[in-house]
Amino acid sequence: MERIKTTGDPFINTIALMITLGISFLIAIVLIFVLSKEPGATIYYFFVGPFTNKYYFGNMLNSAVPLVFTGLGIAMAFKSSVFNLGGEGQVYSGALAAAVVCLALPAAGGFMGGLLGLTAAAAVGGVLAGGPGFFKMKWGTDELISSFLISGAVILVVNYFITGPLDDPANDLLATRAVAEQYRFLKVFPPSKLNISVFFALLTAGLLFFLLYYTHWGYEMRMCGLNREFSRYGGINVPAYLLMPMVLSGSLHGLAGGISILGTYYRFVKEFSFGMGWSGIAVALIARNHPLGVIPAALFFAYLEAGAKAAMIHSDVTFEIAALVQSVIFYLVTAQALYRFIQYRKRASS
Amino acid sequence: MMGITRLYVENNVLANDRVDLEVLENEIHAIVGENGAGKTTLMKILYGLEHPDSGRIFFKGKEVNLRRPLDANRLGIGMVHQHFRLIPEFTVAENVVLGIEPKKRGFFFDPEGARREVREVIEEYGFSIDPSLRVWKLTAGQMQLIEIIKILYRKADLLILDEPTSVLTEQEIHRLFATLRNLAGIGKTVIIISHKLGEVKEISDRVTVMRRGRVVAVRKTAEVDERELSKLMVGKSVMFQFEREPLLPGRVVLELKAVVLKRTGLERPLLDGVNLSVHAGELVGVAGVGGNGLAELEDIICGLRRVSGGNIFHNGEDITGLSPSGRRERGLSYVPADRLNRGSSLPATVAENMIVSNHHRFLKVGIFNRRKVRDFVADLTGQYSIRCLPNHPIATLSGGNIQKVILARELASKSDFILFSEPTWGLDVAGSEFIYNKMLEIRKAGAAVLLISSNLDEIFKLADRVVVMFRGRVLADLENTKDLTGELIGEYMLGLRDDTRPEP
Repeated sequence: MERIKTTGDPFINTIALMITLGISFLIAIVLIFVLSKEPGATIYYFFVGPFTNKYYFGNMLNSAVPLVFTGLGIAMAFKSSVFNLGGEGQVYSGALAAAVVCLALPAAGGFMGGLLGLTAAAAVGGVLAGGPGFFKMKWGTDELISSFLISGAVILVVNYFITGPLDDPANDLLATRAVAEQYRFLKVFPPSKLNISVFFALLTAGLLFFLLYYTHWGYEMRMCGLNREFSRYGGINVPAYLLMPMVLSGSLHGLAGGISILGTYYRFVKEFSFGMGWSGIAVALIARNHPLGVIPAALFFAYLEAGAKAAMIHSDVTFEIAALVQSVIFYLVTAQALYRFIQYRKRASS
Repeated sequence: MMGITRLYVENNVLANDRVDLEVLENEIHAIVGENGAGKTTLMKILYGLEHPDSGRIFFKGKEVNLRRPLDANRLGIGMVHQHFRLIPEFTVAENVVLGIEPKKRGFFFDPEGARREVREVIEEYGFSIDPSLRVWKLTAGQMQLIEIIKILYRKADLLILDEPTSVLTEQEIHRLFATLRNLAGIGKTVIIISHKLGEVKEISDRVTVMRRGRVVAVRKTAEVDERELSKLMVGKSVMFQFEREPLLPGRVVLELKAVVLKRTGLERPLLDGVNLSVHAGELVGVAGVGGNGLAELEDIICGLRRVSGGNIFHNGEDITGLSPSGRRERGLSYVPADRLNRGSSLPATVAENMIVSNHHRFLKVGIFNRRKVRDFVADLTGQYSIRCLPNHPIATLSGGNIQKVILARELASKSDFILFSEPTWGLDVAGSEFIYNKMLEIRKAGAAVLLISSNLDEIFKLADRVVVMFRGRVLADLENTKDLTGELIGEYMLGLRDDTRPEP
């Protein structure tokens, strides 16, 4: 009977994260000095670039929006100790659902159309993740594996539609037609792509925070996540909390896809969301699965991305070098969060 | 071994208290004692798995320092654990040589060499088993033999066996004993841990009896009978320190009828036709040695495990198929033996732990009324004098205080039936007294109380009626009068006496 250590207090955790960040930035700077002929400019654009004009800055914020959704999706699942590794497929098919619905709608009101599109996206994502949750509840299959496999298959199905029946021959891309003007989200920070979906993201994070810490369902979810034996003993319907967080997680992933279509791309482009699902896991890990922590974590990711882009445009670094520097920071920060998460998991399962 | 002391700091249990143990060469030495008497801890120290806080160990006349099992192995001390440590997919030979495999060209595993060497050991000791068989095909008895061969292959002279018969059938036990006798005959020394007195009597030359971390007797087996051993093991109880109000016979609150619990792959049912009833205002104690169905009884009453047969009634209604939450709604409360994993969720806060079974009370359209929760928690922590910060993880509390949190929560729902399982295990005297008083208090208030405990003292102190379980069966159901002695209960606990069978 080993006495179990509790998680350190948030202050120390934040300091630890800051130190990791500092070290990773240092390594990144050293790398830039080695790889770039004009390291001064590269460093400048890498770290300051996203803030140099409205366009870069707004786009950086905009690219954080879907990451907030996928990050929240993963955080909600992890909080309940269920694992959704199918984020990629759920984002991708959620996006397709939103595009298809908005393309198929006759000229409805803009608000109704957007709502229907997002509902479709959430529903598709929810079903894709809910399936593995249901199988786990019913037969005890590992939701981590099944969600991953289903997602992999679904991506191929979506690719079939986009390369075949849904492809719009009028453009050179493998993409659908663009959705009608009235369904597109309002831009809030022109000339950048930032749109009203940023408010949805903030609102959703706030709502989920409230759900998790102030309501009955949140309490039961968290208790099931910490210790299922205890929850069953306490009279909580544990199987329901294998399914519900998966559905919620999938819906949030679907929404990430939906808002990308209606807010940023306006048409479904093949492989547009590549990596969005995986980044959600990293975002949730850095945020320690806290719904409000997801916001700065997603911003951090978007910032890295935007910095890499700015450096590529304005200095001599190639895509490969930018990606290398970006991934050094990414891996260090994620590894630190992952380490803590594994400790947490060990505790919950022992 | 001289003056071995081991304190488990985590729960303040003195597992070994100045223990002296002397084992002679060539003998089969049994160590007996109830669960928690400290037998296994002592053996783990001898095998280098745990380290004593004080005391010295001598082996073959020389003082030794055992820092890890490898040190013990080198000296020639080997241990067969209660649960087998074998790899089912590997062959007998591969399992035996695991860790010290014969090598080809200094690097590659040599399967033929392994088979040959293991066969030599098997033949040397006169066993009969094919070293190329896969372990998953073997019976429990054969697996145990492999564990013994493993030790012999490592050239051990002292073999320690922890409860070796618990998974074996009668015939396998006889075969094991014959093997052990042979080994002693050719110069090996055997230590066997057990609480089955019949077997101890049959196999051992000398026996050391432990109780509560201390050695209470060392005897030649031939000079002691089972009854005396059981008396030594269980000890004398201090009776009736508590003033129990006379029982006012009430209605039957909880009743078990012919309850059976089976597990696939196990011949003997874990619970075998258990009949039990608890009346309002009555405290029934269930006694038994661990592994005889106490834990299973706990699980089926709270509903975490489904029975394979029979029925459970609450206030006359059949609740056999009801979920744990359904049972809670009906007014069954439960303080579990496993308080750190089942009874509480260590990373969750004290407040979150306190409301798990009754959080519906604090809800308004699904949202918590935080003030109500805060008041409820403050009220209970005050009432039970638990000093804590309600928003800190419960893991920051001491074991005694965690138990108080559980107790407070379970008693807050004012149930008419409360199950306590090992409620004072690991607690100090003050903590135990607190819990005893609470139990008597709720009994007086008219609740039906069931106390499952391997601590006979507390059953004698508190219970109106004592039920004794052995191998999943109820062997006795007795009024707790002044005539009832620890010795008598001890005989039932060890299966030496059985009310359900006519005297032979």
